[in-house]
Amino acid sequence: MSPMKLCVPGERLCSTEDCIPGAGTYLRHGYIFASLAGYVLRRNEGEELPVISVVKETEAQLLPDVGAIVTCKVTSINPRFAKVHILYVGSTPLKDRFRGTIRKEDVRATEKDKVETYKSFRPGDIVLAKVISLGDVQSNYLLTTAENELGVVVAHSEAGAQMVPISWCEMQCPRTHNKEFRKVARVQPEYLQA
Amino acid sequence: MPVDTKRVRGPDESQSPLVFLPPTAQTCEVLRRPGDRGKGDVRPLFARCGLVSQAKGSAYIEAGNTKIMCSVYGPRETERKDDTDMKSGRLVCDVRLAPFSCQKRGAWIQGSEERDLSLALSESMQPGVCLHRYPRSQIEVNVMVLENDGGVLAHAVTCASMALADAGIEMYDVVLGCALRQDGDSCLVDPDFSEERGSWQAGYGENQGRVTVALLPNFNQVSGLHADGEMREDTLTAAVRTCMDGCHKLYPVVQQAILRAVKRKAPPPEK
Repeated sequence: MSPMKLCVPGERLCSTEDCIPGAGTYLRHGYIFASLAGYVLRRNEGEELPVISVVKETEAQLLPDVGAIVTCKVTSINPRFAKVHILYVGSTPLKDRFRGTIRKEDVRATEKDKVETYKSFRPGDIVLAKVISLGDVQSNYLLTTAENELGVVVAHSEAGAQMVPISWCEMQCPRTHNKEFRKVARVQPEYLQA
Repeated sequence: MPVDTKRVRGPDESQSPLVFLPPTAQTCEVLRRPGDRGKGDVRPLFARCGLVSQAKGSAYIEAGNTKIMCSVYGPRETERKDDTDMKSGRLVCDVRLAPFSCQKRGAWIQGSEERDLSLALSESMQPGVCLHRYPRSQIEVNVMVLENDGGVLAHAVTCASMALADAGIEMYDVVLGCALRQDGDSCLVDPDFSEERGSWQAGYGENQGRVTVALLPNFNQVSGLHADGEMREDTLTAAVRTCMDGCHKLYPVVQQAILRAVKRKAPPPEK
C-alpha cells in the first residue's frame, strides 16, 4: 500500500473537477484546500467523483448540531424545564461539557401541558435527547425527548439502586420494589447488551 | 500623620544614571550579528508539537534564545457574554511573559505589554481559523514566553498556529510571523533582544523602527501588521516585503514539525 499522504492546513489538495470536498477541507477559487493537519483520504462514495477528506486520529471535535442525538446527564429540574450537561454526541464523548435545556413542552409528544418535570426526570438521570436548536445568546442548547426512543435510560432510585424500566412512564427499584415516574426511552434491541 | 518606617525610599528627585553617560563613539556600520547571521537571515528555528499532554494541542518554539510555549484548549462552551455570536466561534488569546523571561524581572500579573501582545495575537490569528465551523464555542490559545530574546510577537504567532494545527482546529492556513528591525538604512531580520532595543542614542535618529508581519503563506495574505517607530513610506513597504520573505523561509520547518507530530500521534488509518 502506498504511504498515506500527509498535509498541513492550507495545503492545496486538488481541484474541484477531480474530487468532492469532504470533512477537514474547504473550497476556494475552484480548488480544494486542507483545513486540518492529518492524512489525506480519497474515497469512492459511488457518485461520479471521489470524496477527499483529511483525517486526524481522534474523531474531529464534534459539536452538538441540530438533529443530533446526544446523551446527557440531568443536573437540575424546575417546573418549567430541566437543565442537563451534554456528555456524548452520538457515540463520541465530549472533552468539555456543554449545557442544554429540556423544556417542559419538549418532554413528550402527547399531553404536553400536563407534563410534570418531577415525574419525568430527576437530577442524576442519564437521558437520550435530540438537539432541536442551538438556542439564542441567553439560553443553552435546546433539547427534546418527545420521541419513543428518547428519554431516561439510566436512573437511580431514592434507595440508590439502578432502576429497571417497566413502562414508558415508570421505573421500578429492584431493592425496594418502589415504582417511580420517569419518561423512559424505548431503547432499540440492537443497543441492549445481553 | 502615619509615617512609613518599614521602607527605605530613595530621594524624591532621581534620574536614571544612563542620562549622565558620555556618548559612546557611534560607528555607522552594523556590527557583526552573533552566529554569523546575514542581515536577511532568520534564526534557525526549533519547533515541536504536542508537548503539553493536558491541552488539546500544544507547540514549543525556540528561535535563538527566544523560547515560547503555546497550548490550545477547545472548542469549549462560551462563557455567556453579551457579544456571543451564534454563527461563529470566538478565539480567546492570552500571552504571558514569565517573570524570568526578560532581563528585568516582571510580575505575574498581566501588564500592559502582555495585553497589547494578546490583542495583536488575536488580530493576527483570527483570519486564519475557520471560526464559522464552531458556532457558540470558544477556542482558548494560551501563549507563555519563557525567554524573551527578541521577536516575541512574531514567534508567538507561529507557535500559536502550530498549536492550533496540533489541536485539530480547522484553519484556512498556518499563520507565520516575522519581525524586523529598521536601523537607519539597514534592516535586520529576526532581531534578538539587544538588536531590537537598539542603542539608546540611535533611538533619536531617522528611520528607526520595528515591524512585525503575520502572513498566511499559501495565499500570500497578510493577517497582522505591527510597526513601531518612525520610518519612511518606501522603507516601510520594503520592510514588510522582507518580512514576508522571512515568513516563507520558516514555512518548511513549521510544516515538518506539524507533520512529525501527526505521524507520532497515530499510524495512518486503514483504507
